[in-house]
Amino acid sequence: MFQNLLNGLAIGSVYAIFALGYTLVFSILRVINFAHGAVFTVGAYLTYVLTGSSFGFNGLLRGQSLPFGLPFPVALLLGAVLAGLVGVVIERLAFAPLRRRGADTLLTLVSSLGVAVALVNILQYLVGAEPYRYPSTALGALPTAINFGSAAAPVPIRTVQIVIFAVSMVIVALLTYFIRGTRTGKALRAVSEDATTAQLLGIDTDRLILYSFFLSGFLGAVAGSLVGLSVSVAGPYFGLAFGLKGLAVIVLGGLGDIPGAVVAGLLIGLAEAFVPGQYVAYRDAVAFVVLFGVLLVRPQGLLGRAQVQKV
Amino acid sequence: MRRGTVGICLLLAALLAACGAPSPTDSAAGGSEDATEAATSEEATSEEASEEGSDAGESESTAELSGEPIPLGVAVAQTGNVALLGQEQVIGAEIAEAFFNERGGVNGRPIDVLLQDTAGDEAGASNAFNTLINQNEVVGIVGPTLSQQAFAASPIADRAGVPVLGPSNTAAGIPEIGDYVARVSAPVSVVAPNAVEVALEQDPEIESVSVAFAQNDAFSTSETGTFQETVTELGLTLNPVQTFQTTDTDFTSQASTIISQNPQLVIISGLAADGGNLVRQLRELGYTGLIIGGNGLNTANVFTVCGLLCDGVIIAQAYSPELDSDINAEFVEAYTAGQDRNPPQFSAQAFAGVQVFVEALIAVDDEQGLDSLELPALRTALNEAILAGEYDTPLGQISFTEEGEVNQEQFYVAQIEMEDEQTGSFTFVR
Repeated sequence: MFQNLLNGLAIGSVYAIFALGYTLVFSILRVINFAHGAVFTVGAYLTYVLTGSSFGFNGLLRGQSLPFGLPFPVALLLGAVLAGLVGVVIERLAFAPLRRRGADTLLTLVSSLGVAVALVNILQYLVGAEPYRYPSTALGALPTAINFGSAAAPVPIRTVQIVIFAVSMVIVALLTYFIRGTRTGKALRAVSEDATTAQLLGIDTDRLILYSFFLSGFLGAVAGSLVGLSVSVAGPYFGLAFGLKGLAVIVLGGLGDIPGAVVAGLLIGLAEAFVPGQYVAYRDAVAFVVLFGVLLVRPQGLLGRAQVQKV
Repeated sequence: MRRGTVGICLLLAALLAACGAPSPTDSAAGGSEDATEAATSEEATSEEASEEGSDAGESESTAELSGEPIPLGVAVAQTGNVALLGQEQVIGAEIAEAFFNERGGVNGRPIDVLLQDTAGDEAGASNAFNTLINQNEVVGIVGPTLSQQAFAASPIADRAGVPVLGPSNTAAGIPEIGDYVARVSAPVSVVAPNAVEVALEQDPEIESVSVAFAQNDAFSTSETGTFQETVTELGLTLNPVQTFQTTDTDFTSQASTIISQNPQLVIISGLAADGGNLVRQLRELGYTGLIIGGNGLNTANVFTVCGLLCDGVIIAQAYSPELDSDINAEFVEAYTAGQDRNPPQFSAQAFAGVQVFVEALIAVDDEQGLDSLELPALRTALNEAILAGEYDTPLGQISFTEEGEVNQEQFYVAQIEMEDEQTGSFTFVR
């Protein structure tokens, strides 16, 4: 029971910070950035490279590594910053040109989907399809598992899951402070409320859009690296499943709603963790069953506000 | 405005070029380009290797070959979640192409291995087969990577009368797909039980066995059936079976349940990333007994997933780099010239697949003359020649039953031995 609870919270907290990346962009642009799953993967690879690890047998960069290796926490932060910059580039290439032309949001959505496919294929071309694992020293001297039970009735919890939960919660707290307590955060909220009015009031919306893409990329990369730390970077495609799960989370939480994304992430993680053993292979379906059930009762999501139709 | 339009067009063009999902048209172009590039680089490697042995090797072989190249299709997963295995097969097939062309091809005519990406699903495999058959007009196909894909794509070749050799399809029922479908990969029912026997040799106290398998993969489902039958036949206790998906990454639930079953042996049928992760999470949660990995874990790519925790995993093998034969020594030499490790089973099987085609083509040429046959007749004659022949391959001596099932004499069992977090090797224990 305790084991399932912590498993659920660990994976749920990663869903939450991953989905926050979607939420930030959606709240500003009202568009789902489908490239977010690919940025999640890119971030995980960037962290891997920065730890000084080398690439495997396939791909253009086979056998290559940086001449230096950073400790995992530093590599995670730097990798996330670089992935944030990738997010900015994506905005400039795939979103900004369409936005300036006033293109339909569907076009922007397809454009971001295209970027996702391109990024994943470029990754495979560069580093091959093999899985990569962060150095075992990533967590320093911490043991691989901690026994929360007794010697006779052990309840082992993998240390990495406790670390993931803790880091994710710190990130959520920092992001909440940034959005609610800083000038830029308030400006972001103003733009998400009404971009035109915010612009008339002198807020530089273009700059804030870049900020939101940077933050979104940063959060995606942190999620990707934390998942990679737990289960290895399982190849260029490993962000795709998270991409879909993240969509379920933001819809469940209420599109564009930050606390909603956190609650929904944890809820889906817990729901998956409590799937009975014999049905555990079907747990991916659980996220969407939960989503379906909630949407029947609350179409605006758990914490989202109902849209009022103004005639 | 115009700049924006041009930008979007460029982006879309780049996406189409980069996209791994093969539509018949784009995969034909992309695939053959890849093939040419890859073949060029691999030939360069092989040339370097042969230069060490013979200075004149390359110039001689170029002079010997003449006539139109014979197109042979190789349809394996170069992208997608099984690209790990497919990439190893590509290397094996390209080595075979360079190797046999250097030795005169098919009585002086070169073979041209056309790679076509199947990605990791059934639709991709069907597209790749259709392209190879209808556009590239190949004489035969080595592929696809997964049994699951073979059940979808191989019937297409069978209906078109194009011989297919499965390089790594080990599920039950593959040769039965049709008259034109055979395989060089021995079925799991023959290979897998060897691993259980070795586990019992290492720990005669084994009584309780837990089994986990990827339920969304036909091969893993077939393989676990064999493992479970073997466990039951040996009178061991089979605990309630655990399932997962090949796309899963978090196995905490399965690992916790397995540990609570208190087994002395765990048998995992999955692919490298998921299977390796399950091994890792089992060990991290404190499981200390023996682990058997299925054929999907039979790749060096698993080392990077479970690192030092891979140590000791037992895996049945249809190939050993240590097999003492001339063709295997040459294959290992060619492989290690380009790769910093011994060849894995998937590369050896792909090599053997191409080899069987080349030798069967030579047999057809000797008997009837390739030029005298129209393509449909050539394909039929080739299929008959494949099934009638005996081949000395890196896998050992192989032949085929009338149905297309491979007869292979030797099987092996290896145990993973890790040197550090990233590198390890398969140490043969049988």
